Amino acid sequence: MKNFFLRITGVVIVGLIVLNLFVVISGIVISDEINNFEQKTDKLHKANLTLEKEVANLSSLQFAQIQAQKYDFTNSSLPQYIDQLKYAYR
Amino acid sequence: MKIKFIFLLFIGFYIAIIVRLFFLQVIYSPASKSLYLKTNKLYPVRGRIYDQKNQSLVLNQNSYQLYVEPKKVEDKDKLLNLLSKSLEIDEASISAKLDMTKYWVAIANGLTQEQKDKLDNLNLKGIGFDYQTKRFYPEASLSAHILGFLGKDNQNEDIGYLGLEGFYDRDLRGLPGFVETERDILGRPILIGVQQRVEAEDGRDLILTIDKNVQEISKKKLLEGLEKYQAKKGCVITADPKTMAIISLVCLPDYDLEKYYLFNENFYKNLAISDLYEPGSVFKPLIVAAALEEKKIKPDETYNETGQVAVGEYNIKTWNDKYEGKISMTRILEKSSNVGMVYIGEKLGNKNISKYLQKYGFGQNTGIDLEGEAGGYLKPTAEWYPIDYATVTFGQGIAVTPIQMIRAFASIINGGYLMKPYVVQKIISKNKTTEIKPKIERRIVSQLTSDIIRKMLVSTVENAEAKWDRPKGFAIGGKTGTAQVPIKGIYDASKTIASFIGFAPANDPKFLTFVVLYEPKSSQWGSETAAPLFFEIAKQLIVYYNISPNR
Repeated sequence: MKNFFLRITGVVIVGLIVLNLFVVISGIVISDEINNFEQKTDKLHKANLTLEKEVANLSSLQFAQIQAQKYDFTNSSLPQYIDQLKYAYR
Repeated sequence: MKIKFIFLLFIGFYIAIIVRLFFLQVIYSPASKSLYLKTNKLYPVRGRIYDQKNQSLVLNQNSYQLYVEPKKVEDKDKLLNLLSKSLEIDEASISAKLDMTKYWVAIANGLTQEQKDKLDNLNLKGIGFDYQTKRFYPEASLSAHILGFLGKDNQNEDIGYLGLEGFYDRDLRGLPGFVETERDILGRPILIGVQQRVEAEDGRDLILTIDKNVQEISKKKLLEGLEKYQAKKGCVITADPKTMAIISLVCLPDYDLEKYYLFNENFYKNLAISDLYEPGSVFKPLIVAAALEEKKIKPDETYNETGQVAVGEYNIKTWNDKYEGKISMTRILEKSSNVGMVYIGEKLGNKNISKYLQKYGFGQNTGIDLEGEAGGYLKPTAEWYPIDYATVTFGQGIAVTPIQMIRAFASIINGGYLMKPYVVQKIISKNKTTEIKPKIERRIVSQLTSDIIRKMLVSTVENAEAKWDRPKGFAIGGKTGTAQVPIKGIYDASKTIASFIGFAPANDPKFLTFVVLYEPKSSQWGSETAAPLFFEIAKQLIVYYNISPNR
């Protein structure tokens, strides 16, 4: 009976040690993941700002002007009005 | 015996642990806490600013603060030399900041990713970087005076100055959050420890009434105008006269938003909202509208313009000292007759003049949502002399800001409503969009008076003494102004403020544009400087707004 009790106690202690190891290792793994996600979020945030800047640059008037000069679109033509035909015929 | 010994050893061991924990957690608690409990401030992202078509005017970009930990620096001279070369900053100014007795010194703010990478590659000991964001302006300084800039307060915290950055600083700034976590020796979070996170609330985005294309047209034309007419400075304001939503607001000279600190404070001043000046003849339609509203005059009523008019000891004359005899009220505006305006002023009466000046909102802030507005000063009626009532009818002897002037003018052409001018039409936060609607302050004149004055102003443009290169087929209303500048109480005839205020199309105005040129040298007259500049802008706006000819 005594031996049985000692064995059970031993098994429980070993089980608890294994469980403890598992919890500690899981904690470390999850902590690493949290760290990774934090870094990735940070990276994404920075990349987002960089992309936002690039998009804004491409839709800026300055960029449009550079492109217009590049393709020689420098003279604006006057509109033709068709709702009052006397102007359209001019 | 052996078992007892091991048992006592265990007990002793546990007691030692408990005592140690007691010391760590209770007695030395604050000191030990900082070793594993890390609290970081979470900075909110400052709100962005967009124009009426959701085109970005102000964004945020990545940036870094360079710091040095002097105690870890091995070779100070080498460090200074390399930092100076990489950052293109004078070695002496870095040296002045680098106090070797301190543990941490900030050296430079606003470094780009490229600059940071370059410094990282040098493998210098004792330097580090803190992440920050800084403002980015895709359209450079197109709207410098509207936007304002982001500077630092005395605690080195970001704070908006002037324009929208100043006025909406609280909305744009957002609320900081914090994260408190227990970390192990490698900096990883301890899952069973304290994990507290209060998210930062990002700043609100602003959607403006400004159209960056109109802003670009105005700025380009104003720049050309300043050179052509050799004016000292100038402003162009365009608004929707029905709502007083500001579509563009440009004053030159302005400043570089990215390098605002290189400019003198005078460049920061937004003349359109803070500069008081005597408006001159652009003021006349306001008095005419008041007289029409009070039924003191009719548009076709005549006045006998025979010569100079004496008011007390002063003689008032027309700008060219020429007189046409019997002229209508409309003709008074067309030829911008000062003596005719004195007649209208007399018919309107001093009490009514004072009443309407108040009603038009002179001497008060318009309440425009830009920081830095000046309301001006309207002296009490008890201090007015007869000559003051006479000169105010043609816009002398009263100080107004350009924004007050355009607002008052809008009220006489939009059906009579004095509107509150505004620049922001939407404030967008994470969960809510707040729309800012046009606000009627009060009604000044009736629809009928407004219709009459619009027709009179079209006639003023078409029959003015100066002939302009106007867009053909369009009814445009407007009025010129040439105000002399008082210097130490005396008007200097050579220095004037030339202006033109006009709108199109006249029957249902889509835009109202006010052009002011300070001290033009090519000609002192508004009709020869500000007016042609207005028509240059109007030609482009008519095409931009797709307004078809109506006559």
